[in-house]
Amino acid sequence: MTNEEANRLLNAYIDGELDPAKTLELEAHLAENPSLRAACGRLREMSAAIRDKADYHAAPASLEARVRAAIPAEPKDGPARRARWEWLKPAGSFAVVADWLRPAASFAAVALVTWVVALGVMRPGEDERITQDVLASHVRATLSNRFHDVASSDQHTVKPWLSARLAFSPPVADLSASGFELAGGRLDYIGAQPVAVLVYKRRQHVVDVFVWPVEEQKAGQTLTRDGFNIEHFARNGMGFWLVSDLSRGELDDLARLLAERSAAP
Amino acid sequence: MLLATDPVPLHQYESAPPHETLSERKRRFEQSVLPHFDAAYNLARWLTRNDQDAQDVAQEAVLRAYRFFDGLRGEAKPWLLAIVRNSCFTWLAANRPAETVGFEDGAVELLPSDEDGPEVQAARNFDRRMLNDAIAGLPAQFREVLILRELEDLSYKNIARIVDVPIGTVMSRLARARRLLAESVRAASSVSGTQVPK
Repeated sequence: MTNEEANRLLNAYIDGELDPAKTLELEAHLAENPSLRAACGRLREMSAAIRDKADYHAAPASLEARVRAAIPAEPKDGPARRARWEWLKPAGSFAVVADWLRPAASFAAVALVTWVVALGVMRPGEDERITQDVLASHVRATLSNRFHDVASSDQHTVKPWLSARLAFSPPVADLSASGFELAGGRLDYIGAQPVAVLVYKRRQHVVDVFVWPVEEQKAGQTLTRDGFNIEHFARNGMGFWLVSDLSRGELDDLARLLAERSAAP
Repeated sequence: MLLATDPVPLHQYESAPPHETLSERKRRFEQSVLPHFDAAYNLARWLTRNDQDAQDVAQEAVLRAYRFFDGLRGEAKPWLLAIVRNSCFTWLAANRPAETVGFEDGAVELLPSDEDGPEVQAARNFDRRMLNDAIAGLPAQFREVLILRELEDLSYKNIARIVDVPIGTVMSRLARARRLLAESVRAASSVSGTQVPK
């Protein structure tokens, strides 16, 4: 073994990657060559220093959680889905095509599941965004004391005014008999669309009722945010979000009245 | 076999166990592949040299690994790291093309240079930060074999599979990486004057 070859094999030697025959040969060489021994020692020390001092970047726990959540696991029709793809299984010379199709099909399935899961996950996020939007709108109106673009207690004034400026016609009910005075209406922009805001008054309290068309029915849900009571439901193709500093009980009354009246346009 | 010149084939397609549901598949993936998530992130972090990019690339790579999970044969760790490594280089080519410019493997100088006398600073006295900076400063193809060998303790054979080069190339790149690193740290030490007196 030449010095050059011995030097070349030193890295494999200190890594324990040299086969036994070469190892014996190299060790014989090391025994009679002090400078090669020194080089070997420096190399071992270098390796030990890297192992000891180089940063090991463990994955952040949040990242691992995110990745685990992003891996689709859809329990229901896994086997059925597989069975349905059986016809793709190869017969003779189509094997190549099918082998290519199978990963493509499973990729498509995974993408579909991801999309479905994402839809499910997005729903509460959307409600949360709307909650923040309607609350912000209500607080802005309170701060500037500008609740309505059209001030009128007459539903037949408020409704056409809103209808003329929106792509839909919000139900506007006269609830003065029940103690909720219509004060007017305004326009705002919630959840990426223009919406109608009906403004009702009860004693000194103002209630903002945000209305826009939605597709599904939704039973009433209540929440409290920053001291404001919020209630929302969807009926007869319209979604309603009520925001006020009114007590929960009175806000419930108004929500119930609006739900009853929304049936009759 | 040390100096075999053929890259070791990494995986081939075969179908998944029949009638496995997606949730069973996910559990199997979590048990065999996700224990190596730290290794995946560590490699991505060292190759992208940035926390946020490493997170993006590691996440994308692991989800890709899940899609190709049926192709896994043998050990999960090198299989996963091969996917991570490829994702990193794809990402580097798109975002930092200058960093993937190849160095010729043929021109490797392995002989110790003359200044490697007993007076040079011993590696055990290297400043920790300087050493990390020096590793980060290595060209990517030397950095990756060094990380895989020293921090992941992988065999040359597995590194060859991950990097997709012959085992002999792994050995020469590793030798070159250690040599470059020693020179780089010593140069930095003599400039900043932090060399530990003998």
